[in-house]
Amino acid sequence: MRSGSGLLALLIAFPLFLITYKVGALNYRLEDILPRKQYRVAVDMSLDGNLGRVAVTTFLPQSDEHQQITEEEHIADPSFRFLSETEGLNRVARWTGSAVPDGAKLSLSYSVLATPIAYDIDPGLDVPDGYSQSIAAYLKPTDNIQVDHSDVRATLREVGADNGTLRQRLQRIYQRTSALRSRAFKGTTDAVTALRLGEASCNGKSRLFVAMARATGIPSRLVGGLILEEGQKRTSHQWVEAYVGGHWVPFDPTNDHFARLPANYLVLYRNDQALFSHTADVNFDYTLATSGKLVPSPRIRTALSVFNVWGLFERLKLPFSLLRTVLMLPVGALVVVLFRNVVGMPTFGTFLPALIAAAAGETGLFWGLVSIVVVILATVVARQAIESLRLLHSPTLAILLAVVVLTMLSTSLLADLVGLESLARVSYFPIAVMAIASERFYLSLVEQGRTSAFKQLGGTLLVVLACYAVMNSLAMQALLGAFPEVLLLVIAANIYLGKWIGVRIMELWRFRSLLQQRAMA
Amino acid sequence: MFTRLKELFERYRYASQHVVGMNRRNAKYIYPNNARRDYPLVDDKILCKEQLAQRGVPTAETLNICHGLFDVERTLHSLALESNFVIKPANGSGGKGILVLGERAVGSDDTAQTEAKWLAPAGKVVTAGQLRSQLGNIVFGAFGRKLADRALIERKLVPHEYFRSLWPDGVCDLRIIVLGETPIMAMLRVPTRGSGGKANLHQGGIGVAVNIATGRTERASLKGQSLRFHPESGVELVGGTIPGWQRVLVVARLAASSVPLDYLGVDLVIDEDGEPKVLELNARPGLEIQNVNGLSLEAAQSLARALEPV
Repeated sequence: MRSGSGLLALLIAFPLFLITYKVGALNYRLEDILPRKQYRVAVDMSLDGNLGRVAVTTFLPQSDEHQQITEEEHIADPSFRFLSETEGLNRVARWTGSAVPDGAKLSLSYSVLATPIAYDIDPGLDVPDGYSQSIAAYLKPTDNIQVDHSDVRATLREVGADNGTLRQRLQRIYQRTSALRSRAFKGTTDAVTALRLGEASCNGKSRLFVAMARATGIPSRLVGGLILEEGQKRTSHQWVEAYVGGHWVPFDPTNDHFARLPANYLVLYRNDQALFSHTADVNFDYTLATSGKLVPSPRIRTALSVFNVWGLFERLKLPFSLLRTVLMLPVGALVVVLFRNVVGMPTFGTFLPALIAAAAGETGLFWGLVSIVVVILATVVARQAIESLRLLHSPTLAILLAVVVLTMLSTSLLADLVGLESLARVSYFPIAVMAIASERFYLSLVEQGRTSAFKQLGGTLLVVLACYAVMNSLAMQALLGAFPEVLLLVIAANIYLGKWIGVRIMELWRFRSLLQQRAMA
Repeated sequence: MFTRLKELFERYRYASQHVVGMNRRNAKYIYPNNARRDYPLVDDKILCKEQLAQRGVPTAETLNICHGLFDVERTLHSLALESNFVIKPANGSGGKGILVLGERAVGSDDTAQTEAKWLAPAGKVVTAGQLRSQLGNIVFGAFGRKLADRALIERKLVPHEYFRSLWPDGVCDLRIIVLGETPIMAMLRVPTRGSGGKANLHQGGIGVAVNIATGRTERASLKGQSLRFHPESGVELVGGTIPGWQRVLVVARLAASSVPLDYLGVDLVIDEDGEPKVLELNARPGLEIQNVNGLSLEAAQSLARALEPV
């Protein structure tokens, strides 16, 4: 232990110093470090054009302090032209096409990384006497927001929202509107109808909120968007914003959010609009599909000043999942080392289980393991088939690599055919390692027999599980994301383990008779 | 809970001190004693034999060496009239690619033109054609991780009658662990019917502990089960003495001193004349010998030091 102790001390002290510095001087906090959920939203539309002219519009989300929109993509039937433009406060996606066939498809997708926001409304704030012209427009009545209707005025008086501070009035309006019974009603409900029925869906409650707020002199407007949750749906959501002290402050009377917007709300458009508008009689249909994945928090990407690898990847436009995988690989390898040198678990190779676990992190553990077993079995069959040719080592490996590729592609094709999407998307990145692992499996099958080979395979799969648990744990990812210098600690741990000469746990079993007999003596 | 953990930890510490595991073997025995660049000197049986010959270490007689594909016909021709020889890949491990041939089994005309045949263990017959392909495969590197290899052809050793009495089919060999130049631990490996004439323990050979000082056989085990008699021949395995033990120790020391490695497994056979012949050296001897002897390498080391003449 002596020869490496100076180096070891340095490898431990330096990262600890950096971490302390970052926490102390750069003010890192837990919520900055934890990875965040990024959603991928796909809006898939279909229509029957009957070879005529068709126009479809919908809204594109915009980046602001609440939400960050990236990787926007649109795909359409070739008969369409796509245009995105700003219309008032909103961004509009517009497709126009002539000779549009039946069953034409349009699709729009984007990634959303949203931050929850909350406002504190100063209790002393009064409703101002007047507004600039552009803001005053948000006090006017519309067909569905009947600001001057007597019922609206009466309700305002009834709940006492016609006087008091700005905050008091908003609270009373909010309480009144959120007290309406909820009703899953498709279509438009105007403010007065909602009031009369005493029940409404999100848009009815929101319109009543806006009508009452405008009636009491608070500029306000409808907001349309999506509640992000993984899966497919057709429902969008509406809530409101009120103009308070120079800010548009969000309120959702349907889901109980007072002056705040949670991280799973996506703002698509403002004002009283429909999410889609299209040429009549085209049998228009749509689905909203959302998937989620963890990404480093945007604050990590900017807050890091020392060794900012996130910033580097952002500039190079490399996917963050790759950086996450790369950062976690040495940790995975350390797990393998622990299993091999401390437990005594036989595995194929030092990095293979870590690589497989990394690949499985992208596709899901179960199907990752299934694909490994499929590939290894196929390769063993192939290896058996070429055994009689007695080929030399390197060409044999090259053949096995081709077999691995073919097996993976066939598995994907087959899985796609039967609709097993997770299996079809299984990662291709550990291909070469798979070829080597399969060859090793075959050799141990032949040289050491079935028992030993399957023990090693079982050991490998078990260690893959352990690597997967560690490498995909939120805590580890957050730690390494914010403090990549932890890798130096990994090196230090390996130096320690490289000099650790204790008995491996499985050797206790191997030498059990020797140990028992010594203990008795 | 805590006391249970503490007890487990104590037992683990005890184990760590009383058996040499893989980690300790590598870090404390192999790395300090055996330089990686010297491995080929013992891993290659032909190179190893050359080293041993320089020091006059007795080994089996080398009949021929086949140097490559071009050399197969010449080698075959030179063997046409031979009996009782062994063909080994120079770089092979675990007994892979070894072919043992007995008496010639062909008629009386004794010409190289006739296809020769030899008797092999377990009643098999090997033809010259099979021998040719075996030689070809060996020099082609089919049994090792090298692109090409050489084949070593040696005279088949006839073991001393003491060993033949234990088990007649196949060869009993001795494994001596030599540290520096001190033999510290020894075992005798006896084939069984299940081990196919081979004496390797993981292939089903019996391990018999041999007292390093006296050469007495002290205990025997087969796949972890201790036993006293050979399960097939019924001969008692323990309580005997290896013939010419002191000579065995001298040869083992001499063999170890002929290569630059300092932690070695010396494998040898005592032939019918009582002369120890070194089969091969092993740069990474296994740990199973501890189970066979009921003794850790470290304990054996201190015992042997105490015995060593100053």
